[in-house]
Amino acid sequence: MTSINPEKIELDEEMSKRDLDNSPIAVLEEIKKEGQGRAWQDLSKKWGVDNPDPPWKVTLEATCDVLSEVSCALSGVERRWEEDDLVEELYKDVPYPERQLLALAHTMIRRGLIDEEDLRKHMKVVDKRLHMV
Amino acid sequence: MADKHKAAPMVDEVSEFEILEIAVRELAIEKGLFTQEDHNAWTDYMHTLSPVPAARLVAKAWLDPEYKKLAIEDGVKASLEVGIDWVKQMPTQFGTPSDYCNLRVMADTPTLKHVVVCTLCSCYPRPILGQSPEWYRTPNYRRRLVRWPRQVLSEFGLQIPDDVEVRVVDSNQKTRYIVMPERPEGTEGWTEDQLTEIVTRDCLIGVALPKPGKTANDPRPVRKALKPYGH
Repeated sequence: MTSINPEKIELDEEMSKRDLDNSPIAVLEEIKKEGQGRAWQDLSKKWGVDNPDPPWKVTLEATCDVLSEVSCALSGVERRWEEDDLVEELYKDVPYPERQLLALAHTMIRRGLIDEEDLRKHMKVVDKRLHMV
Repeated sequence: MADKHKAAPMVDEVSEFEILEIAVRELAIEKGLFTQEDHNAWTDYMHTLSPVPAARLVAKAWLDPEYKKLAIEDGVKASLEVGIDWVKQMPTQFGTPSDYCNLRVMADTPTLKHVVVCTLCSCYPRPILGQSPEWYRTPNYRRRLVRWPRQVLSEFGLQIPDDVEVRVVDSNQKTRYIVMPERPEGTEGWTEDQLTEIVTRDCLIGVALPKPGKTANDPRPVRKALKPYGH
């Protein structure tokens, strides 16, 4: 016996009407390219670390939750549907959870929650900060 | 002596992905989508999650028929005895749409095997089972399990005899499920702690069975969907 979720049927119809812009976003394409071979699965092997998840996975999950539960800016269901779509094509060669992160950033940019140029600039700021000695 | 205090290995380089995660989060805070305090509260909560409470719930139920009855009748109430308060434990203090306060504990029998999926997205009983594994999130698992449960379970190494019914339970925004597998042979006289160790995450999802000596999940294949969404 299989219990099928009746809510899915309605949502399936609703989501099929959505026109997710899954065209590439330049800043994320650069990260995808520069990050090749530098995902957690590569770095953990290189440094002999056996933690299956990167340290930032937990803060990524928290970001997804606060966007849904606190700010109501991005519902969990919609984010996951868009992630499904994006990781099937655009980010298919990126390992997990890096592709979850790229999909979240993609969705946030396309929905206008953050701006692509702001993201590019702020990544430089963060990069500089993390490399300060 | 010095070796005993040797630091554990660490990844001593910063990846583009780590930078991206921080940048996205900080920009969202800067734009007022949420506060740092909100984020800290959820991060702290995430750190508390693991499959151990669900494993303990099953172990307790194996040892105590009355508790088993409670677990089947009222999973949320039974969760309290393993330290999980579905209502008050979350940063919202009243549950969340993503972790709705309705846990159902599906008890296997000799003629019935349960397995959990979320066809909608990847709803999962996080408060009591921790974060979902990658394969659970994939459209491949979600779509195929409801159609061909025996085949999918066999890919996980679980062969279900024909005379055992397989029941797929579909999580949703209102209800979450865990599986209470049958207590395996060879565990007579075991303590709750011993039993808890063999109830792995995969047993609680229903894609594996508990076995004496087996305390970890097997590596699982992650398959892509043949017909992606929208195609």
